[in-house]
Amino acid sequence: MARIGIFLCHCGSNIAGTVNIPEVMGAAKKLPQVVHVEDNKFTCSEPGQASIRQAIIEQRLNRVVIGACSPRMHEVTFRKTVASAGLNPYLLEIANLREHCSWVHTDQPEEATAKALDLIRKAVARVRWQEPLTPRQVGVTKRALVIGGGIAGIQASLDIANAGYEVVLVEREPSIGGRMAQLDKTFPTLDCSACILTPKMTTVGQHPNINLMSYSELEEVSGYIGNFKAKIRKKARYVDVSKCTGCDECTKVCPVTLQSEFDENLGERKAIYIPFPQAIPNKYTIDKRGYPPCRVACPAGVDAQGYIALISQSKFKEALELVRRTMPFAGVCGRVCNHPCQNDCERSTVDEPIAIASLKRFIADYELKSSPEKVSPVPQTKEAKVAIVGSGPAGLACAYDLVKNGYPVAVFEAMPQAGGLLRYGIPEYRLPKSMLDKEIDYIKETGVDIQTSTPVEDVGKLFERGYEAVFLATGAANSQKMNISGEDTPGVMHALDFLQQVNSGTKVKLGKKVGIIGGGNAALDAARVAWRLGAKEISIIYRRSRAEMPAIASEVEGAEREGVKFLFLATPQRVLTKDNRVTGAECIRMELGEPDASGRRRPIPIKGSEFSIRLDNIIFAVGQVVDKDKLPEKLEYTAAGTVSVDPVTLGTSITGVFAGGDVVAGPGGVIESIAVGKEAAISIDRYLCGMDLTTDRPKALKRVEDISKEGVTRQPGVKMPLLGLKQRKGSFAEVELGFDEAAAIAEANRCLNCAVCSECRECEKVCEPDAINHEMQDEVVEEDVGAIVVATGIDVLDHRQVNVYGGGVYPDVISSLQLERMMSAAGPTVGEIVRPSDGTHPKNIVFIGCVGSRDEVTGNGYCAKVCCMYMAKHAIMLKEHDADVHSYILYPNVRGPGGKIFEEFLERAEAIGTTYLRGQIDKVSRRNGKLLVSGQDLLKDKSFDISADLVVLAMGLWPSEGISKLAQTLNISYDAKNYLLQAHPKLRPVETFTDGVFLAGCAIAPTDIPESVAQGGAAAENILKLFSQDFIDAEPMTSIVDTARCSGCQLCLQVCPFKAIEAETLRDGRTIASINETLCKGCGICVTACRPGAIKLRGFSDQQLLAEVMAL
Amino acid sequence: MSPEYQPKIIGFLCNWCSYAGADMAGTSRMRYEPNIRIIRVPCSGRVDPILLLKCFQQGSDGVLVSGCHPGDCHYNEGNYHARRKFALLRDFLDYLGIGKERLRIEWCSASEGQRFAEIVSNFTTELAELGPRSGS
Repeated sequence: MARIGIFLCHCGSNIAGTVNIPEVMGAAKKLPQVVHVEDNKFTCSEPGQASIRQAIIEQRLNRVVIGACSPRMHEVTFRKTVASAGLNPYLLEIANLREHCSWVHTDQPEEATAKALDLIRKAVARVRWQEPLTPRQVGVTKRALVIGGGIAGIQASLDIANAGYEVVLVEREPSIGGRMAQLDKTFPTLDCSACILTPKMTTVGQHPNINLMSYSELEEVSGYIGNFKAKIRKKARYVDVSKCTGCDECTKVCPVTLQSEFDENLGERKAIYIPFPQAIPNKYTIDKRGYPPCRVACPAGVDAQGYIALISQSKFKEALELVRRTMPFAGVCGRVCNHPCQNDCERSTVDEPIAIASLKRFIADYELKSSPEKVSPVPQTKEAKVAIVGSGPAGLACAYDLVKNGYPVAVFEAMPQAGGLLRYGIPEYRLPKSMLDKEIDYIKETGVDIQTSTPVEDVGKLFERGYEAVFLATGAANSQKMNISGEDTPGVMHALDFLQQVNSGTKVKLGKKVGIIGGGNAALDAARVAWRLGAKEISIIYRRSRAEMPAIASEVEGAEREGVKFLFLATPQRVLTKDNRVTGAECIRMELGEPDASGRRRPIPIKGSEFSIRLDNIIFAVGQVVDKDKLPEKLEYTAAGTVSVDPVTLGTSITGVFAGGDVVAGPGGVIESIAVGKEAAISIDRYLCGMDLTTDRPKALKRVEDISKEGVTRQPGVKMPLLGLKQRKGSFAEVELGFDEAAAIAEANRCLNCAVCSECRECEKVCEPDAINHEMQDEVVEEDVGAIVVATGIDVLDHRQVNVYGGGVYPDVISSLQLERMMSAAGPTVGEIVRPSDGTHPKNIVFIGCVGSRDEVTGNGYCAKVCCMYMAKHAIMLKEHDADVHSYILYPNVRGPGGKIFEEFLERAEAIGTTYLRGQIDKVSRRNGKLLVSGQDLLKDKSFDISADLVVLAMGLWPSEGISKLAQTLNISYDAKNYLLQAHPKLRPVETFTDGVFLAGCAIAPTDIPESVAQGGAAAENILKLFSQDFIDAEPMTSIVDTARCSGCQLCLQVCPFKAIEAETLRDGRTIASINETLCKGCGICVTACRPGAIKLRGFSDQQLLAEVMAL
Repeated sequence: MSPEYQPKIIGFLCNWCSYAGADMAGTSRMRYEPNIRIIRVPCSGRVDPILLLKCFQQGSDGVLVSGCHPGDCHYNEGNYHARRKFALLRDFLDYLGIGKERLRIEWCSASEGQRFAEIVSNFTTELAELGPRSGS
């Protein structure tokens, strides 16, 4: 039988002023099992608590109901009161008469009284079902995690570490220091910010109890107070901090320059950098943001950004070396590649793409001109011999990679010279043989054995001769037949045969009128070669339209300039002959239908549209096919007549034989063939090492996401100089003349450096301690901690968004933080104040306060707290720097709260001549090279125009980026503005609702430095209080399974967010759910999922909740 | 709202966000209609559909369940469980003839006292406009 006592609190007049307490008492007395009812002025006061204790003892109460403020306020207090009278503290229920009743219904006392009685009735009904609960004792891990290395986080870390406990300090940026490190002076004492901060930073860096994890982020947290597990991602900085000495040699050679975030974009830094000279740790970081679009687009993954960056630094030799890390054909690809890199170049969104291919050609030409030394062969480290059949780009690329990997490789070529289609298909004026020879020589020098005039009749014999793997790259060198009448007439040729004859030096005689059939590169080559051989009228007849032509666009333009005519949407139906000589072609007109498998629109003949043209020669360039006669008999083929291979491994139907390039894919680009050769090299290496061919192959490169175009102005690309038309006629001299050094450097300097680090690897070469590691990966570490401090600080609103004040419009409108960086002796201007537009010293400086603060329209509704004081600081400092400076501070309000000489500081600023003007600014415009600030003087009620050299905007402050995600990770609350929520705004200012997680600094709300330091210290003090105990009470309100009722369905296992439920097999063989109390956090989700009603959440049982519902 | 008819509302509020939000409404002296009676639960995911049906059986005109905003649940995913469960239950209420509009699912954070007051006032007005439940 329950004996319930009810205690009603007046809370002064907070409750009693609205709720009619005597009426509630009268009704409460009549409730069943209630044996005692009393009221108190303040139940939480000592006399109030004493009366509860007394009543429990005297009235032998075994249940207590208190009608007072929110249980979130005093539940803990009253539990202790009840316990001190010998009653289990969980036999208490609190009715929330204040926050949920009297305070929200002050104007409706009758309704409030009725509601209060309901709430008491509900509590009485519930308390009958309350059970005694005993908290478990859990141990405390006496290590703390501090998130954020600004001044608040530094203070918290030092206080905890100095008390003898370990601290893991996690900072997202490469250095600790936070916003304070960016400041020049602090108000109102004008202390040098760095001078007072850096000693603390150094202490953190050297403290034996502090494990500093910079460039790291918290990823996941599990557990509870005293027993958290934190997963921290240590982002790859590509520099081994244990080896880096901070010597700065790397930045001297890094070719990539970008705006420095630490200097608020006023200064520059390199892709490898330390954010500022006093950084802790004083270790370099490489800024890699993914892979640049050019490199991702290249099928072979050539690092275009890297060699372009090196070209911009006149490092031509190094640039070529970088290309050769991936493939040996810089000079070839620089000329004949269809350059997908260039098509994806991000610069094309600004003006024109970088001439990537031409730059690559330049570095190869440069080497050819400077006649370099021979390279020494790569040492052979592997025994298994590899045979490659065919010396086109696929075969040679594969051979090159395998030789570099240490394999002995022989390439067998049927023709008298190596190069495949590069030599026999592409005309001299596009690809000089001297360049091709040079690059093939280079491949030979690395150790590739090329045996020409050596056709391979039988692949099986290669294995007999001791080769353990074979790569077939024999190409698709046979011309596709058109199968129309007259195709065999003398005077009709096929493009490949024609080009091969010309390229081999055989004389070919052409008539006046030549027709070329086709629209690919072979057709264009044939046409332009025919022109050079003296043909007068050359027509390219193509069945689709210009847009569908697969040829390189610049080749089409080149042919047009040379006078080649194009006949689109037509195709020959038969060759017209007379006396076994070609006289012309009968053609039919076409129209375009639906797109076919290639994505291009299918040409359809128009009936009755036949027409004839007169021709002396016809050259068919309608495709190439594989010559099966020269391939092993056992190979399988596709329907298209190419060799069938595994798309991933390139393995053929014969074990140990791989195939790639045109023989597999049909005619394709050079770079695609090179890429396939490289893939084959990977497969062959894996095959010979006995590894699995498919798993964990190199993944596709991930394109960089956000590409900064900050400060990029339009600047069209450098034009490629061309050979004059007159010189071209009858000559096979190269048409594109190539860049000179100045042109190449100018073009390279247009590169946006999309991925920031270009992976040129120059830093690697100069790093004496060998600290650079471009292959470094992120590392996730797990730390056990007992408590967490969140001190993630603040972001500044981007002033470039405030266009009405000239932000982002005029360069001489800057933010306060930018001015701060300029004032700093270690800043981008070494302490000089200059106008960004022209570098002159400003004399009239206008400060505008509350930009994006206290104004929902431009930013935040709230006050950023520090601006009034730092504007005064800036005015004072500027006057000290230069007595001729006049500062205007335009404000809607000026605040100098508190007694710490804030108001006096403002007066000092005014006393030195600063004009304070309460103004509403209409706009900032430009007149005669100066800025004009126009607005209304609100005190004098008249308009003003101030001519300014520099305008400084005091920007609003925002919680730092990613704070809400971090709050969700930590299960702590945040408000609508994303600031973190305190457990109580007055009395628990650095605690959260989640036990063991504490707050400090601007993550709570904008604070100044001393407040941040005080909060950091307060958070540390809370943690030390926790660490002073070996054991703490764990919440007993966890779930429990009624073994007899559990059906073993295990639905609860699936819904538990904390994996606290496991399946357990009983001795009778039944499987039931079992709850690990240590992991259970008491959410009760399992209770609602449990179909037989076998799970009970202690403190929130079905009976307790049902009793509440039934009482209402 | 007609003076003679006062709808009866029971609200289930999660301890971490919405109950604290209701506290914030009180601390900030917001005004809202006095028709709601609040029951504290650890998480909106703890609220059993049967409990809600019991409320209607007991004569409630409306029931409010309010939890943390999606993504902000103190227990990571309890509010998602609640959201899925009560989307179904609301359809079932239509089937029972009670009407889905009598069950409100809301998200309200600990700092949103103003929002909580608005939710309660709006819901009370809506229920008053609906009138007493047929058969109750």
